[in-house]
Amino acid sequence: MDRLDENEMSEFEQENIESARFEAELTLAMRHVDPPAGFADRVLAKVAEPEPRRAKILMMPRRVQAWVGGAVAAVLMVGAFGIQQQHERRQRAEEAARAQQQYEQALQITGETLDHVRAQLQQAGVPVGD
Amino acid sequence: MAIAEGEFRRLIEAHQRMVFSIALRVTGDYHTAEEVAQDVFLSLHRNAEKLAGEDHVRYWLRRVAVHRATDALRRRAVRPESGAEEWSEEQSVGEHGATAHLAVAARLDELLRGLPETLRTPIVLRYQEEMLPEEIAAMLGQPVATVKSHLQRGLKLLRVKASVTMKEYVRGSIG
Repeated sequence: MDRLDENEMSEFEQENIESARFEAELTLAMRHVDPPAGFADRVLAKVAEPEPRRAKILMMPRRVQAWVGGAVAAVLMVGAFGIQQQHERRQRAEEAARAQQQYEQALQITGETLDHVRAQLQQAGVPVGD
Repeated sequence: MAIAEGEFRRLIEAHQRMVFSIALRVTGDYHTAEEVAQDVFLSLHRNAEKLAGEDHVRYWLRRVAVHRATDALRRRAVRPESGAEEWSEEQSVGEHGATAHLAVAARLDELLRGLPETLRTPIVLRYQEEMLPEEIAAMLGQPVATVKSHLQRGLKLLRVKASVTMKEYVRGSIG
């Protein structure tokens, strides 16, 4: 590799000096900042507050939260399945009732038609068995 | 066993500036920073018995503050400059009769808020907390090379911005 000439060496050193100066300036700029007045008192007041119930649930260990979540999901799924089954059962019962009604109506119409035909045959003198 | 109130107050008073400063510089928002800092200390109150010694507490607070501040920043999905006005006012209270150093510090803080979060957090930990790249890498769960690269890129961006926008810096009237 070629060695740096005098100008390049000077530029390199200048760059290093500038960089170090900037880093020093940044360290000075990034001093710690005071929080708003009364910060510690507000934290202590929050600690003294009773924990809301929801917070207790959220504070459960992750593994327990996962189990609880799974159990809730399972209960919801079973519930939804039960509701769907009940709905389907009710639909089937309604369809059966409708079919029965249609069947009885058809029987009634057939019976009436047969009576009418029998009456006409009797009027024409055709012997009709019972 | 819960920590005694007196001891807890001592811990808050000893570390509140560090925790608040990390939250402020990572989120770039004064009110969010206070919420994050409060949350960090409430978490400390719940976990104090697991921490052994002052160094452990300091390390734990830094780590939790960085992660909570990053979460808050992502959750809010706001431009970090949103709370900048109030912060700048707080910063510039004594600026009228102050030295150039204070003015430059405030401007550098402003420029820092313009950096992307991935570059800003390592810069905060390196120059505010004076942590080594290896320590930052361990805290952020990133490879050391990534942290070094982020530090270099962050510094370069800050220097470019400073040279463009800060007359005081270009003139070299400081340092």
